[in-house]
Amino acid sequence: MSTTFQLNGETCRFDGDPMTPLIDLLRCQRFMTGTKAVCREGFCGACTVNVEGEPVLACLRPVGLLEGLSVMTIEGASRYDAEAQLLQAAFERVDAVQCGMCFPGMVMSLSKFLRETPRADRNAVKHAMVGNICRCTGYERIVDAVMECLAEAHSAGGADV
Amino acid sequence: MSEVERTIMNLPRRDAPDKLRGRTKYTNDRMDSTTLHAALLRSTVPAGRIARLDVSRALKCPGVRAVATAGDAPGLFGIGVADHPLFASDTIRYIGEPIAAVAAETLEQARAAIAAIELEVEPLAPVLTMEEALAPGARLVHENWRNYEILFEGGSRRGNIAWEAKAMRGDVDAAFARSDVRIVESTFRVGRQNHVPFEPRVAICSWEDDRAHIQTSTQVPWTVRNVTGRVMGLTPGRVRVTVPAVGGGFGLKFDATIEPITAVLARKTGRAVMLENSRFEEMTTCLCRENADIRIRSAVAADGEIVGREATVLMDCGAYGGEQIFLTTMTAHTLGGNYRLGAVRLTSRAIYTNTPPNGAFRACNGVYNTFALERHTDEICAELGFNPIEFRRRNVLGDGDLGATGQPFEGEVLRPMLDRMEGLREKVGSARERAAGRLYGRATTVGTWFIFVGPSSATVNLNADGSATLVTSGVEIGSGTMTQSLPQIVAGQLGLDPRDVIVKQADTDAAGLDVGVGGGRTTVSIGAASIEACVPIREKLLKTASEMLQTPPERLTLRNGRVEIAAVPGSGATVAEVVQRAQSISGPVTGTGSFTAKNVPAMAGCAMGHFIEAIDIPVFAVHDAEVAVDPETGHVEVLSYSVVQDVGRALNPLAIHGQVQGGVVQGLGYALHEEVTLGGEGEIRQSGFETYRLPLALDAVPVAIDLYEGAPSMGPLGTKGAGEVPILNTAATVACAVANATGRLVREIPLTPPRVLRILRDREPALPHPHISADWLQNTLD
Ligand code: FES
Ligand code: FES
Repeated sequence: MSTTFQLNGETCRFDGDPMTPLIDLLRCQRFMTGTKAVCREGFCGACTVNVEGEPVLACLRPVGLLEGLSVMTIEGASRYDAEAQLLQAAFERVDAVQCGMCFPGMVMSLSKFLRETPRADRNAVKHAMVGNICRCTGYERIVDAVMECLAEAHSAGGADV
Repeated sequence: MSEVERTIMNLPRRDAPDKLRGRTKYTNDRMDSTTLHAALLRSTVPAGRIARLDVSRALKCPGVRAVATAGDAPGLFGIGVADHPLFASDTIRYIGEPIAAVAAETLEQARAAIAAIELEVEPLAPVLTMEEALAPGARLVHENWRNYEILFEGGSRRGNIAWEAKAMRGDVDAAFARSDVRIVESTFRVGRQNHVPFEPRVAICSWEDDRAHIQTSTQVPWTVRNVTGRVMGLTPGRVRVTVPAVGGGFGLKFDATIEPITAVLARKTGRAVMLENSRFEEMTTCLCRENADIRIRSAVAADGEIVGREATVLMDCGAYGGEQIFLTTMTAHTLGGNYRLGAVRLTSRAIYTNTPPNGAFRACNGVYNTFALERHTDEICAELGFNPIEFRRRNVLGDGDLGATGQPFEGEVLRPMLDRMEGLREKVGSARERAAGRLYGRATTVGTWFIFVGPSSATVNLNADGSATLVTSGVEIGSGTMTQSLPQIVAGQLGLDPRDVIVKQADTDAAGLDVGVGGGRTTVSIGAASIEACVPIREKLLKTASEMLQTPPERLTLRNGRVEIAAVPGSGATVAEVVQRAQSISGPVTGTGSFTAKNVPAMAGCAMGHFIEAIDIPVFAVHDAEVAVDPETGHVEVLSYSVVQDVGRALNPLAIHGQVQGGVVQGLGYALHEEVTLGGEGEIRQSGFETYRLPLALDAVPVAIDLYEGAPSMGPLGTKGAGEVPILNTAATVACAVANATGRLVREIPLTPPRVLRILRDREPALPHPHISADWLQNTLD
């Protein structure tokens, strides 16, 4: 059985077991290692990718359920997603990154949040982040960076809620 | 501009752009379609004898290229005592212990072949707790403990006591016998904490030029090289270790049990082999921060002077001695630190049990000893009626005071830091009203850590384009040392922009000896070696430029990538021009440096079985927390958190603040909810993220930080390590605040809601610690 979907804008055809988790297709077969596999049980958020623009955990999503859908990974988002780029620049600026393993997933989760929630306070940002665990940074810097992005997006005329 | 001024800056990390875009290749990102995958057969019983092990069926499984067992790696390794085999050969000592390994074309094939291995084990009655291990007639976890090779002399050992270290100073009996003292005694118990670095332990080994080349996620490339050589019976020089970016360590990656297995399999197959712990394996064989039992007694005079103190600390090392043997050393400095003591005797014992081995974890040994010490201090204050902050102000170590092992402390640091905390508390204000009907408590604690410096080396090569390459065995585990502080230090010495300092990833073939990244030592030790490496480079640059510019070297300076006439900014020549000139007339511009501490030894007869003649560099911290305890649910909320940390000199304040914030939140996890428990077979029950509760964004608290600079330090440019210390007294601070909020004793952490409810209802069991005698002498060998 084969599954065909869009991966970072290109057509991707997969002929293996449709129950293969997306993370394995990406990392072990395509050697696209930007998406991190940390817990493989849906708790850490490190493997977050976007499917049809929604954050999805690649360790829980079987490839067979992606037929016809569009999937964006950190590799694609870094090139095509304006909010992801905004976040990446802010994380660099505030020195939020330590070991870095959680950040690809963090960027993928928060880019949608940034797009849709331009007027959040710190607490709302933290709520948006509960699905993404970071063992190193103690989170506050990450929240700082997101707040900077929100301010930037706002001053650049981002939509008000 | 001085070299110090040139060095201090908030340089952002150079590795962040790639890490944020998923381009960084960690070790587990480096497999390709030609890499073989390894899987391990691990024990499912805590103790037993291997009656039969037959791998012939596994060898015939599809895709299998090799199987390895104890016969392939007969050597024993360890720290202090060589008690640890790579694979169990005869005796099994914990659930999860490796027995055999398979390399196959795919991971599924490797796992299938593992299932085909035939193993018969005669189970033995396991020894699961320290209490059982110390009971008279207890079964020996290591029957032949007498026969092990001793790698470090000086400690006492017997039976299930893997190691014992002692610190003694003064006449403790006389102090306790004084008629004018009150004696306060406390007992404590702490559980294990799992490191959970996001990248698991993983290694890829290929066999090249008849040598092993191991790429691994480690903090200790030289240890990996030596252990691999030792267990395989190779000279260590036949092992090359390189270290890609490491996805977090926190001390876990001092371990060297994964890498030799890949080397054995790579030699057998001639192919690159990757072994990566699954999350389950990682969680259940994680070398946790050890569980410990503590008894501490003090004799305190009416004016608050601590005239005598004695304590016993039992550290569960699990099935093998490993790092706990080494860490017995730390007790003297952490439990024996913080306060001026008249007379003192401390013993710490590493105890064998049939449980997964424990290991070093950020501020190892120190976090729970600080918890015990600070809680004990508050118990003293409560019993004798002292104000806890005033009591600390009176008794903290100051200039010339002796530590437990008789080394004098230099400089008055903790007392002024307590004053600074008072200022910070005022600035931050009180969050009391946010307690909103819940029980409110606040506490301030002190902490003493010390940095073990140990040997490091560095080479700096100046390139014809004016850049410099720094070659060391340092590893970037996430703390920013290799991406921020070291390039800053080298750049400051040579007048370069730190972005023009290339940092070579650790490679034991290229760099000199180093004892690894941990304990906050890297900036200090590799930093000092780097400065030494720059000395001949500066000389050569100045000499060459002096000839080029017809100016005496004393009038020249290195700045902005140029060798300039000091009085005339913008004059002279670029470093690139000078290097090119020097290369053509006198050869490459290069320097090497090495460093190890010139430490103050322990007072004669004061310290036994200690691995480090510390105190190399003491580092101090003062923490303050406000908490609200919900009396209905037992939930503890941290309302505010403040830190005054002694950093010697802050070369990159931005990076240090990040370390403090991260360390405190990790410490809050340890204090409040990170709980590892053992099942009836000695297995770790929290085997994944679902059951092990890590701090989430909503658990995080912004930390108010004040960096205290100017304390004496032998570190380069006055630095001290900053990444280890922030976790040192978080559990102590939260526990003291919860005790203040509830008016109850707090003897155990983590303070999970069920435990807090038991504390509130006086249901939390007392800790009589029958396995620690009230008579200190009964707790020591010989
Ligand atoms: S790896 Fe998918 S959520 Fe952790
Ligand atoms: S930076 Fe290491 S897990 Fe987030």
